[in-house]
Amino acid sequence: MAAPPDDDVLWARELHYAYDGSPALQGVTLGVREREIVTVTGPRGSGKTTLLGCLSGRLAPKSGEIWFNSLPVHTLGRQSRERLRRDRFGWIGSEPQLVPELTAWENAALPLLLNGARQRTARSSATEWLERLDIADCARKRPAALVQSQRQRVAIARALASRPAVLFADEPTAPLHRTDRLHALRTLVSAARSHGITMLLATHDPAAGATDEVVGTSVADRRISLVDGRHARPTGAPDTKGSATCSLFV
Amino acid sequence: MLLRRLLLVGASGGVGFLLLSALGYALEHPEATGDARIRLLWCLVPLAATVHLAAAVARTETGARAMSGLDAAGIGPARLPALAAVSATLSSLLGSALGLLVFLLLRGDVHGVPYSGVASELLGGQRPMPTAAALTLLCVTPLSAACVSALTVRTAPTRRGVPAPARTEPTGPEAASPRAVPDTAAQPVRQTRAAGAVRSAYPGTAGAPEHGPGPAPSEPAGARRQSVTAPAGLPWGTALVATGVALVAFTHSGPSSALRGDELLPLPGTLDGSPPGVLLGWLLTACGLVLAGPGLTYLCGRLIGLGRPGVLRLLAGRTLQEEARRIGPPVGAMCAVASGGLAALELYGDLPAGEPRVFGPLTALGAGLVLCCVAASLLTATGECRTARTAATDTLRHIGAPRSLLRRAAAVRGVSLVALLVPVIWAVGTLAALPLRSTVG
Repeated sequence: MAAPPDDDVLWARELHYAYDGSPALQGVTLGVREREIVTVTGPRGSGKTTLLGCLSGRLAPKSGEIWFNSLPVHTLGRQSRERLRRDRFGWIGSEPQLVPELTAWENAALPLLLNGARQRTARSSATEWLERLDIADCARKRPAALVQSQRQRVAIARALASRPAVLFADEPTAPLHRTDRLHALRTLVSAARSHGITMLLATHDPAAGATDEVVGTSVADRRISLVDGRHARPTGAPDTKGSATCSLFV
Repeated sequence: MLLRRLLLVGASGGVGFLLLSALGYALEHPEATGDARIRLLWCLVPLAATVHLAAAVARTETGARAMSGLDAAGIGPARLPALAAVSATLSSLLGSALGLLVFLLLRGDVHGVPYSGVASELLGGQRPMPTAAALTLLCVTPLSAACVSALTVRTAPTRRGVPAPARTEPTGPEAASPRAVPDTAAQPVRQTRAAGAVRSAYPGTAGAPEHGPGPAPSEPAGARRQSVTAPAGLPWGTALVATGVALVAFTHSGPSSALRGDELLPLPGTLDGSPPGVLLGWLLTACGLVLAGPGLTYLCGRLIGLGRPGVLRLLAGRTLQEEARRIGPPVGAMCAVASGGLAALELYGDLPAGEPRVFGPLTALGAGLVLCCVAASLLTATGECRTARTAATDTLRHIGAPRSLLRRAAAVRGVSLVALLVPVIWAVGTLAALPLRSTVG
């Protein structure tokens, strides 16, 4: 078992995963450095979500290794992976995935509360993030009373409020309109930059010409393209770091 | 699903059997028309419970998950009531047929099988059975179950109003129109944490002081009302219960009631002197409890989440509030049955041995049937809630909520609901029995 490179916060080797026999990932290898923002691109069905799921410990890969710092994620049991996800990882899906009976601030504070934070602390932290995302006035409303873009911002606040080490964003802008997409992506990226959060961002196919792809290439440090569960081109090796264009053009 | 249908079959079979028993009693005692009529009327209680169960089953079977598949196959919401009605009719018809079979068997009309005619005396086995009357009685359950199921399914989407919140498309005007200042919001994160400072530093955001650059607080119509407000039934239910108890007390203490010890019993068996006021009062009390069920459940959820709850109490309380509309009516029915049982025990539990027997086999069958139906409705509603909450549970699991937390939250919900309802049941049961009891004493 090869030890991961020292400067990689997240490192995966030869990941294989299959949904009931139909292969989704076929030998993906990648390494992500600390504070790096990596976009994972590819068409639908190329394995982006599965890759993020495996890396974040939601899915257990059929074979392959995943290391988070010096922790072998692929050997962890279900409960340990749960704890790791709760303590160190954040997740933003393409759907807001909010708990319908909780208000916006309670949803945003949920990871903190689950980690055992006191209610007052969790509340102030969640409210702070809601303010930064310009939805502080929705803090006491339930998800059903919000529009989709507001809900997605609550989901972003939830992912950021627990100060994760690594943030997994799986097409976080998919349900949004173009202006909302731009806004949400910029918020995410600038939050990750300012708080030193490592981020993996799955986005659509570049051929689709979507707005987030335009943003994604310009804000990300590196891009990984997947096709049919494999690398479209070998960019996974840590020594081939990309163009490092970190400009946020704001 | 099979279990639910089988329960429905069993319940309608039991009701059919009870109805036929009433018919048998009437055949056996042609002179006691009033008594027979009352027996028939008492069959309405199990019938109501069965119909309630049928409605719960119909609601569950046409839940959101089943709906999407059927919708794709071409059976839209307009045709669903017909589907529910047919399903309920088939189950109930099968049950009624079984009930008829058992009735004929016990009565002694089917020869050559064991237990043939063991209860022929009780079921009026000496006289021939009028076919038309029996068939009419047997059709009552399927017809009422079909009607109520169809109505439940037809009114369900608007009355219960449970769209999956994550799927609700934005309907506000802002959802379609581009926002005025989309670019400035990325800056605040880098610059400062205080929103006030952000707004003063960025005139673009300061231009929208109340709502920020995001959408104005226009909400999907009705979305807020349905999830936040408490169910309205609690005051009405309380009023009905109070009226019912008062009516029982008033009717019974009045001079017109001349009950003797052996005529006290308004149950099938010995029954001449049950004043209609008492029955009406009990009926009102039961209705009041059913009406108050959602409100009580909501109140319980509210009480769990009082103060500054931790994550366990928060989740348990809010979930109970959310589920109040679904599990409330069965919970209320359960309360009504339990307090009815308590009242019956208080009244007849300690009668001296010389009194006429009050709990005959038919009474036991009816009571058991009602109890089973109500319990099954409650379980069905609980299952429906669990199905409806799948998305929320998945979300919690994704965030990393441990399984034990969810289990503990469910336990807290159950225990606190029981803790709230037991005093209510005890109070209502005792109050309903109190006037009658004082007369006996």
